[in-house]
Amino acid sequence: MEKMINFKIDGQNVEAKKGETILQVARQNDIYIPTMCYISKTTPCASCRMCVVEAEGVDGFVLSCNTPPTEGINITTNNAELEQERVNIMKLYDVNHPLECGVCDKSGECDLQNKTLEFDVSQQNFTARDQSRGIEEWGLINYDPALCILCEKCTHVCNEVIGDDAIDVKFGGYGSTIIPKNAETLDCTFCGECIAVCPVGALISSDFKYSANAWELSRVPSTCAHCSAGCSLEYELKQSSRETTASSIYRVKNNFEFTSLCGAGRFGFDFDNKAEKSEVAFANAVEALQNATAIRFSSVITNEEAHILQLLKEKLDIKLFNEDARLYGAFMKSYSSVSGKLHHSGSLDAIKQSDAAIIIGSRVATDNPGVRYALTTASRHNGAKIIYAHPMEDALMQNSVTQFMKYEAGSEEGVIALLANELLKDADISNEERAYLLDLDLGYLEAESNVGDDELKLMSKSFARSSQKVLIVGSDLFAHKRALNIAKLVALIEKYSEFSVVMIPSEVNSAGVSLLCDLDKDENLSSVVAYGDAKGDFVISSLEGADLAVGALNQQEGTVVSIDNRVLPMNVALSFDGYTLNDLAKELDVEKENTIDYTEELKSEAGFKAIAFDDLENFLDSYGNDVRGYILDEVECEMNGELETVEDLPEFNGTIIYHSNPVLQFNAYTNATKQLEKDRTLRGSAQFSTAARISDGDRVLVSFGSQKIERIFKLDSELKGTVALNPTFDISVDASEYKFIKSKIERVVK
Amino acid sequence: MEQFNNRNVAEGGYYLVDIEDYPTDGWGKFKRVVKRTFRGELFVGLWVVLREMIRFDLHTISYPEEKMPIGPRYRAIHEMKRLWESDTERCIGCGLCEKICISDCIRMDTKIDENSRKEVSEYTINLGRCIFCGYCAEVCPELAITHGGEYENASDQREHFVDYEYMLTPIDVMKQNAQKEFEGYGAITPHEDERVKKTPLAY
Repeated sequence: MEKMINFKIDGQNVEAKKGETILQVARQNDIYIPTMCYISKTTPCASCRMCVVEAEGVDGFVLSCNTPPTEGINITTNNAELEQERVNIMKLYDVNHPLECGVCDKSGECDLQNKTLEFDVSQQNFTARDQSRGIEEWGLINYDPALCILCEKCTHVCNEVIGDDAIDVKFGGYGSTIIPKNAETLDCTFCGECIAVCPVGALISSDFKYSANAWELSRVPSTCAHCSAGCSLEYELKQSSRETTASSIYRVKNNFEFTSLCGAGRFGFDFDNKAEKSEVAFANAVEALQNATAIRFSSVITNEEAHILQLLKEKLDIKLFNEDARLYGAFMKSYSSVSGKLHHSGSLDAIKQSDAAIIIGSRVATDNPGVRYALTTASRHNGAKIIYAHPMEDALMQNSVTQFMKYEAGSEEGVIALLANELLKDADISNEERAYLLDLDLGYLEAESNVGDDELKLMSKSFARSSQKVLIVGSDLFAHKRALNIAKLVALIEKYSEFSVVMIPSEVNSAGVSLLCDLDKDENLSSVVAYGDAKGDFVISSLEGADLAVGALNQQEGTVVSIDNRVLPMNVALSFDGYTLNDLAKELDVEKENTIDYTEELKSEAGFKAIAFDDLENFLDSYGNDVRGYILDEVECEMNGELETVEDLPEFNGTIIYHSNPVLQFNAYTNATKQLEKDRTLRGSAQFSTAARISDGDRVLVSFGSQKIERIFKLDSELKGTVALNPTFDISVDASEYKFIKSKIERVVK
Repeated sequence: MEQFNNRNVAEGGYYLVDIEDYPTDGWGKFKRVVKRTFRGELFVGLWVVLREMIRFDLHTISYPEEKMPIGPRYRAIHEMKRLWESDTERCIGCGLCEKICISDCIRMDTKIDENSRKEVSEYTINLGRCIFCGYCAEVCPELAITHGGEYENASDQREHFVDYEYMLTPIDVMKQNAQKEFEGYGAITPHEDERVKKTPLAY
């Protein structure tokens, strides 16, 4: 039991854990201390000095945001002097603040407005020569220095939580501003978190600017539909014009005090299906399903839809194809056979609290920004040692990664074996497993994978003093030829070390689909019905060009399983006047009135609870506790898996491309949005361009597997090595293929 | 106003009107009927009518050809005013009228215009719902929306919309300096200048 510090705030007995500040304790006990610059998820900025309190026996005021309490101390949060101090601070904040609340986007939800009224500052008593400062346009983000109060929330979030470290304060007294760090204009991943935390209207979304007032927007809480991080968000809606009664999404907000959201979630909200209802298409779809041999579908669907597909499979005796979820499921099953648990043990919170992390097989900054933000938080707040094992370095991660462990593409099995051997050196493991590790040909593995003994030693050394460790496994490994054995090795590490494990499902609901559906290996059959972003003879999808239009994920209710093994509800933000998968199922005698009637029937053997959809909460409480949905029950599995011998490591020679999306892009749905940048270029290093004999701006024909695609080649100075990045959000690639793939690149001569 | 504020009936020309008691019995009522019938009161009225008819000094107006002037504070159909200095629209699109409207009849959309200013792109008032309370005019920080004297808003529909262009002072009226300021709810009170606190400029 940790020792608690007992003290008093305003005469009330409270207790603090070690490391907690007076402000944190006050907030936990519902005692109000006003702040302007404090934000729970970062270290205190301590720039506003509004949170001053008096401590008995201490001269002067104490900043409650960064002062831990001492045993038995008496804190006073409010008296005439403190009130006067705060009023004076507010008076200074209001000096020359433009009186443009009438047009400011922040009006109605502005901290400065609220506090000015709270402290009753009705006139300006101080003077300062006003300065002429124009509005900066930084793409998706606009900055108005005249409105900025220099609270520094944005820079703290950008640096400590996101990891872009793209903005900075230019100090200059009254002339201080926020500037892009080391650049002319803002060069970042455009997560928009700075917009979210800005207490005034200084940083705002350029798309939202002047389009609506805060109080006119109605809010729909939901879950982001783009990746498996399952970030909570709120769609903000308003009737879109006087010509229609339908609403449209004006912007997306998140509970920035405790959670983060990437740019895809924040700016990529308009992927809804605008198609009209067609009864003919519906009749065709029913017929297509009746004659279908298989349904091929993507993992960008809800658990309920996955469940209905499974019921259809049983009813119609057809096959279900979803390579992405099938491989994820197989990986997890293999993992379970050694670890004895159905779900992985870690979560984003575990990553945030960790002080040591290994991430392997994922270009995580673009694959799953949620994991990246968690890693950044761990690095900044706990000084976590982060090992980034991947064939390609990632410039976006360089601020938080402490050791880059480069391995050869395809050699993941060897790398995991080496890691297992290193991490379990002194572990108390069974004789059989010890013999397995002793049997490894370390010299061969090190030479072929290019991971040196010294690198592994360095890792062990840096982990020596850490206690909370996480192993993060990315989606490169799921489609690896030796995925099943890799999964077992991962489980072995988890079983015998302090590591918890987090797998990053590649799509928003790969995890849910893999738990709910019995998937078959994809074959080239005729009369395949496609559901979602998939290929087939009859396409049922919310994307453009579908044979039957159904609602997108922001147009329907349902749940998804996130990376935290949390079942998260999604709500209807926009109406869709058309059919759903459930309507089709009803025609085929799979009877339930509504899609969400299936929520409480989801497979309990997989850990789902019998909770009705309408009973699922979808918010974070005022103390920051996540009470959204529920966490899947832990399920015990049979431990019958046996480690296989590590195979000879494959060699990847020639021109290699790596399937990896640019920032803010994930799939066809993000591709359909208006604001998100769509960088369709093939990006490679100077070394790659020399090897492939192409130069910047060349139009090239990239052939891999059975696919051919024309792209522009872009020279990226941040990349190194001989692998180029090929985006997949605008094409559909075979999810069963390993993400590094041999290809042929030819220049297209016009 | 002063004369009405003095409620002391003992001074200031107040006098008691001597009103006869009403008859209570049948005989009394009969006497009153006879008295009224033969006093020729009827002809007094007829004479007035005849006299006025001959004089052609008519006090009724023939609506709708003729209309009474309406008081400057009358709250009828809204008007959108322009700035005297530049003839541009006063409305800045703050949305306060929409927010304060208790019958929820104002709807507006705004967007960013080519000069990076907030511009009203759609503005409608449903007169079928409007109760002409004047809150919108009172809350308007720019004196942009006001009430006007146009009270003829009968409609064959329950919903009856007026839009921004309809309410806006026509530019030619503006050019003739003929825009009228509203003196009712929300207008600037006399001597407002004296109460304005100025930002200190002592640098």
